[in-house]
Amino acid sequence: MMLSTGLLKLTPTQADSQRRRARRFAEGVSLWLAVLLMLFVHPLYAEADQRQSDSVGVLHFVDAAGRWQEPAIVLDSEFDIEVSGLLAETTLSRRFRNTSDAWREGVFVFPLPEKASVYGLTMTVGERTIVGEAQPKAEARKTYEKARSAGQSAANVEQHRPNLFTARVANIPPGETISVELQYQQPVDYRSGEFELRVPTTLMPRYMPGQPAAGQPREWHGGWALPSTQVPDADAISPFTVQANDVGATSHRADIRMTIDAGLPLARVISPSHPLQTRLDGQTVQVQSEQVLMDRDFVMRWQPLAGREPTAAVFHQRWQDDDYLLTMIVPGVNEAQVLPRDLVFVIDTSGSMAGESIRQARSALQQGLATLTPDDRFNVIRFNNQTHALFMQPEAATGNNLARARRYVANLQADGGTEMAPALERALTIPASASEKAGERVRQVVFITDGAVGNEAALFAQIRQQLGSQRLFTVGIGSAPNLHFMREAARWGRGLYTAIQDPADVSGPLQRLFAAMEAPVLTNVRVQWPGQSGKVESFPARTGDLFRGEPLVQVVRGTAPSGVLKVSGQLPGGRRWKQSLDLQQAAPGHGLNRLWARQKIDHLLDSARLVGGEPNKARVTELAVEHTLMSPYTSFVAVDESPARPSGATADTEHLPTLLPAGSQAGMLRYPQTATLAPLFTALGVIGLMFALAIGLLQRRATV
Amino acid sequence: MSRLLLLLLTCSTTLLVFGLWIPLKAVVAQELLELAWAESQARQAETRPWPWADTWPVARLTVPELGDSMIVLAGGHGESLAFGPGQVLGADGSQGPVIIAGHRDTHFDQLQYLKTGSELRLQDRAGGWRHYRVQATRIVDSRSERIDTRALADDALILVTCYPFDGMDTRGPLRYVVEARAEMPLNRNQLEPMDTVAGI
Repeated sequence: MMLSTGLLKLTPTQADSQRRRARRFAEGVSLWLAVLLMLFVHPLYAEADQRQSDSVGVLHFVDAAGRWQEPAIVLDSEFDIEVSGLLAETTLSRRFRNTSDAWREGVFVFPLPEKASVYGLTMTVGERTIVGEAQPKAEARKTYEKARSAGQSAANVEQHRPNLFTARVANIPPGETISVELQYQQPVDYRSGEFELRVPTTLMPRYMPGQPAAGQPREWHGGWALPSTQVPDADAISPFTVQANDVGATSHRADIRMTIDAGLPLARVISPSHPLQTRLDGQTVQVQSEQVLMDRDFVMRWQPLAGREPTAAVFHQRWQDDDYLLTMIVPGVNEAQVLPRDLVFVIDTSGSMAGESIRQARSALQQGLATLTPDDRFNVIRFNNQTHALFMQPEAATGNNLARARRYVANLQADGGTEMAPALERALTIPASASEKAGERVRQVVFITDGAVGNEAALFAQIRQQLGSQRLFTVGIGSAPNLHFMREAARWGRGLYTAIQDPADVSGPLQRLFAAMEAPVLTNVRVQWPGQSGKVESFPARTGDLFRGEPLVQVVRGTAPSGVLKVSGQLPGGRRWKQSLDLQQAAPGHGLNRLWARQKIDHLLDSARLVGGEPNKARVTELAVEHTLMSPYTSFVAVDESPARPSGATADTEHLPTLLPAGSQAGMLRYPQTATLAPLFTALGVIGLMFALAIGLLQRRATV
Repeated sequence: MSRLLLLLLTCSTTLLVFGLWIPLKAVVAQELLELAWAESQARQAETRPWPWADTWPVARLTVPELGDSMIVLAGGHGESLAFGPGQVLGADGSQGPVIIAGHRDTHFDQLQYLKTGSELRLQDRAGGWRHYRVQATRIVDSRSERIDTRALADDALILVTCYPFDGMDTRGPLRYVVEARAEMPLNRNQLEPMDTVAGI
């Protein structure tokens, strides 16, 4: 710069020097221009530079002023499942790794199997392991909050729905990991000669019916939904969902290890959901699946060798001076009396079904239509915010009507909310003209949905009230259906439920369901335990009707493993069916007391629901604390006594998102991509031109 | 050496031309869209601005304070956003919330000057104007937040663009959101041309 201004002062003497002077002048001007351009471009360049230093894919959050916050907590999970006989015990460790340099609190909403009994929580901070305890919900929350403000590391796990939980981990040190280990057990499903175990890893965003509750701040809390009149805890059960590529490459991954000791030789072990490494070791099978994305349910199925399928099983455990027995009896009755049916298909076409789910649902419905015989009558009802039926009332399954139904089904699209109550009412209301010959027809409702609703309890009550002599069957759709809804709706509806995992898997489970639906094989089932009847408490207290391939499972307290268990029921023709089981052959089992306690708690909650009153909170809490179980009124809390966080440091709370179930489309609108390449191109072009100009001029100068 | 220099020069010029082409296209397209908008208002039908376009004008958005007026196209996909702001939610003539997205580098770079209380006007195909007042502006992370269309009021207008305004990153997760509410409910009958009832 000094050079160019100095040059201007030179006096011209010759034409040659004049030319040189002009060139030098141009050089000076362009240098000035270059400096100006540099000043102009620099902010853009600096911005681009700052962005590049962020590692791609680490989850960021933004504060109110739009500034980037530090990278979030990275989460990974490990499922260690041990199946023995009819129970599966799982140790689920979740590691919350704080990658930032500030103290953090992590909040994570997660699903567990719908029949899980959570019985243990341990927290590991560095070298220390702290065993958590079951406390009444409010008390546990208080303990946790006290520890959080005192700067101690703490973990708290609460139940919102039987299959939906929240884990809170306070004061995760910067750069450190706190791992929270959860122990739970779940019964294994056995149906039609096949065992099945499902482990949900994520949840479908649920629809929250009702108006936003009054007096709530407009701000979002932990979830995307606001509490509504029908779902008061909506914000607690609606974690944000993200796509798999929005989280870090190591976050939201799970390692699954499973040991199956079925007690009998197995023919095959398969998973329709995940690739597996399987190792057979005598009767036990080791299964492993590593670093799987937590975006769909993990499903395992295993089959005994042909001819070796179990027909009965007894397990016994003695726990705190009480005897617990678990029995399974497979009636093995296949005769069914086929009656003409009125079949109503209800299909969920709400926004949560968009994507792969609606395709599965359509194909499930088409298969259902294919099972109809000319004697049957049928109807198809679809619903989202609104309910629409194909026919005014069930019509005969003639070729013409079926063709119409097939076209109707093929054109179904998914969008809108999930207002299930009006659809259920429509399906369960029997039109006056159809009820004339009610005695000769079986009325059945097939409900095809992902169950992504927040008001389950109200729907169960409605099913119970409107059911009458009908039966309700549920078909769960998608990679993370709400199985609690499927199972309970079918139970209140005196029917069966099934879940479809992926498109290739549609036909198997559905065929079994439709075959079983033709008629219940055993009604009026009675179970008679030996010993004095007053002391014996068995669950389920009232056995429902059994369908083809379905076993009778009972868990009981207060009877020793001696004597004979007598079971009887009524066959379709009206004949009696009887079977007895010698309890002395009971195999040792464990965890039966927890299974029994969980069933007892469910029973207490159910009976309160039946009379429409408040459940016996004190009794449920007492049972849960006695058996160290999680329940609607008890939760687990673990506190590290030594304070970790210095009093000066603060800890921000971070709500961890869950992965959107595979194959589904975000129910809510994503923000569109609204930037162009224009500034980048312009900046690059200008910088390039500048360099070219500078190099050119330097070259000129060197040659002159 | 001079060949390398020439190469650098050519590349930079090309980049610059491409970079300037995007805003130029946006400006030129708006002129064509004005014609299409006038035609669609006259014929009360979807009118494509050019035969191969896969979008059409659905509304006119003006910001009186900034003297800005632009034609809004149907759909929030890249094809329509290249030529004008795109209407992501809301159909012509129907009640309900409206969401409009636009490129921060072209049409919606003016959004940064909007403040709470600024006026916005939206004209539909029937010619009726609807007046909105900006209620709030905020910045969201598009990875952790979605637009819950059910929670929106029926008279809400939401403008979305990328953030930061002078950013270079085309795939950045931040969005600048302007939330506005209608000042008074639109009275459609008042805007009905008189001659439609004259024939009775």
